[in-house]
Amino acid sequence: MIPGRHSLFWKLVLLLCLSAVFTVGLSGWLMREVGKRVVLLDDSAKVVMREYAAQAEQALQQGGADGVSVWLEQLREREPGDAMVVNTSDSSLSGRPLTEEQRAGLRFQRELDWRMSFRSIRMPYIGVPFPDNPRAGRLVMQLPPRFMPGRHWPLWRTLLVVVLPALLAMIAGVLLYWRAMVPLRELQARVRRFQDDPEARVGAGLAARRDEFGDLGRRFDRMAERVAEVLGTQRQLLHDMSHELRTPLSRLSVALEGDLSERDLRRRVAREVTAMRELVSDTLALAWHDTEQRDTATELLSPAAVWDLVVDNAAFENGWAAQRFPCRVPADARVLGNLNDLAQALENLVRNAVRYSPPEGQVSLDGRREGDHWHLWVSDQGPGVPDDQLDTIFEPFVRLDQARSANSGFGLGLSVAMRAMSRQSGTLWAENNSPGLSVHLRLPACRTSGAASV
Amino acid sequence: MLLGMIPIHNEGERKECKGVAQCNDNIYYLRMNAITKCASRLLVIEDDPVLCGDLGDYFRDRHHRVTLCRDGREGLALARDGDFDLVLLDILLPGLDGLALLAGLRETSSVPVILLSALGDEQDRITGLVRGADDYLPKPFSMAELAVRVAAILRRVALERHAADRQRHGSLELAGLRLDRETEQARYQDQPLDLTVTEFRLLQAFVEQCDQVLSKAFLYQTVLHRGYGRHDRSLDLHVSHLRRKLRQAGLHGQPLRTVWGQGYTLVTDTLSVGRSVQTL
Repeated sequence: MIPGRHSLFWKLVLLLCLSAVFTVGLSGWLMREVGKRVVLLDDSAKVVMREYAAQAEQALQQGGADGVSVWLEQLREREPGDAMVVNTSDSSLSGRPLTEEQRAGLRFQRELDWRMSFRSIRMPYIGVPFPDNPRAGRLVMQLPPRFMPGRHWPLWRTLLVVVLPALLAMIAGVLLYWRAMVPLRELQARVRRFQDDPEARVGAGLAARRDEFGDLGRRFDRMAERVAEVLGTQRQLLHDMSHELRTPLSRLSVALEGDLSERDLRRRVAREVTAMRELVSDTLALAWHDTEQRDTATELLSPAAVWDLVVDNAAFENGWAAQRFPCRVPADARVLGNLNDLAQALENLVRNAVRYSPPEGQVSLDGRREGDHWHLWVSDQGPGVPDDQLDTIFEPFVRLDQARSANSGFGLGLSVAMRAMSRQSGTLWAENNSPGLSVHLRLPACRTSGAASV
Repeated sequence: MLLGMIPIHNEGERKECKGVAQCNDNIYYLRMNAITKCASRLLVIEDDPVLCGDLGDYFRDRHHRVTLCRDGREGLALARDGDFDLVLLDILLPGLDGLALLAGLRETSSVPVILLSALGDEQDRITGLVRGADDYLPKPFSMAELAVRVAAILRRVALERHAADRQRHGSLELAGLRLDRETEQARYQDQPLDLTVTEFRLLQAFVEQCDQVLSKAFLYQTVLHRGYGRHDRSLDLHVSHLRRKLRQAGLHGQPLRTVWGQGYTLVTDTLSVGRSVQTL
């Protein structure tokens, strides 16, 4: 899987690559620079060596070859290395002939300003001309080991090869951590705040990021939204339900205190208990649908047949003749839906329509096919709904008539219908007719309308 | 359609019985109860003492032998050893959870079980039925509702016991309706009805027990082989299709009637008088 263009991956990779290249470059350049400085003799060494040359010159001037020889003996006691004093044609001035070794040293002698090689095992020969008269000769001696430059080289090398890259890597690590931790910290803070305040969202900066953190932030926002919504609905439902329960409960209290006959009392109790049971089960159904958001299994249904079932009940419940529920949807129409959900939705719509119907009014089902959907609508001949409330009637516990009469229900019917429709991927909305209200349903149609199964 | 229904309200508030149906009401009751009136042994496993006692009283009054139990483990032992016809089982129990009890019980026994639960949501319903309950009733329920379901299961079991004696093959005839059990084909006056398997089984149940009110709970048990949910409309849809097919075959007068709040019945009178009954 290749990370996306805005992925954090590329930033991290770039940072790591840059830090690697920078470390190698810096370390190499420093090694060269430090190396250059480290192989030169320092000034104190030069002073001492020049001083020796001056002493040798003095010894030659005062004592000739013997003087040089004596001085060389004295020098040998002070410095461990080999030494000789030669003239410009490289002949010994101490009277003693040069050994093979000394000749070789003479050939490879270095000046004081030259670089020393600290790779050779033996100390290099340094030639120092006499300070007063360089033409008279020079002192050639092995560098005293204490002046050998590069004694600190292993230290420098460790510093440049181990410590410096480690430091640079540490800086890169801090940078990486900072890049990752800043948004993460922000998210962490939001999550912590969300625990107390469900309204908390991630900042615009984080949400606008196009990398994984931005994605996480946006997902968090969506989750927070959903949680807040569910919490809100449930709180509202609970609030409304306990509020609504008071009505039948207070009616019951009144009935108990009154002196009704047992028969009447029983009937009252039965009616209120039925109402409360309906209220509880409808509220639970709403809360359940709200948290689940799952779709139910769908099958091919004939809207006309489902209408028949619903009308069968509604006609009895309300004492209406079945003819007052005309169905003008073709019998061969087939929608993709869930029987129980569709029946529940239609049942609630019909119940609502009947409630607001005038005497001898009709409640009808119409429908037409629109592309790959069936558009159905349940119409009544009642007073309709103010246009600005066409949406609010689907909210739980919303009733248009504020007076809570015994048979007006709890205002849950349309919300239950709405949920039942959305569970089978259908939609539901209301429109005013003149006169009356139409509640519209839209459900996927069966693709091959010929295959009629139910 | 309206004429086809025989509204029978328990409260007797709106008794609008019409035509032939009225005089037959009591007969339906007698016939329906005849088969289930015999004493059955019920085991009630329910931890709420009040509900438990009420259930015991209610079913004892209806001539059942009732054993009450308020603990899960004890209940499982009783259900395993005792010879019961039906177990009423609460889900939330001390000792052993009702669903676990049911799972344990099903290892050895196939005694019918009705689950009772205050949890009442769909998930419980599904798990409960999958794990081998015969029916599920969410609380709160009315005694009448429970009694219908108890009767439905007892009746189904009784029918299954008698099934061996019953004629399995051959055809069944009733006033022009002819059902061939072997091919599962139905005809009305030699006209094929073209029924689905479920519709055939439904019609068979009606014809075998004509003039009796078959409760929805019973029809779900015998025809659809599952418990009846309050919002379940499948049976209604099958009945609706069956009615349409009978009507298309020329059978007028709505012989398949809704008995409000109870179930459906096949009225033989309308079959024999046929076209003479008017529809409104």
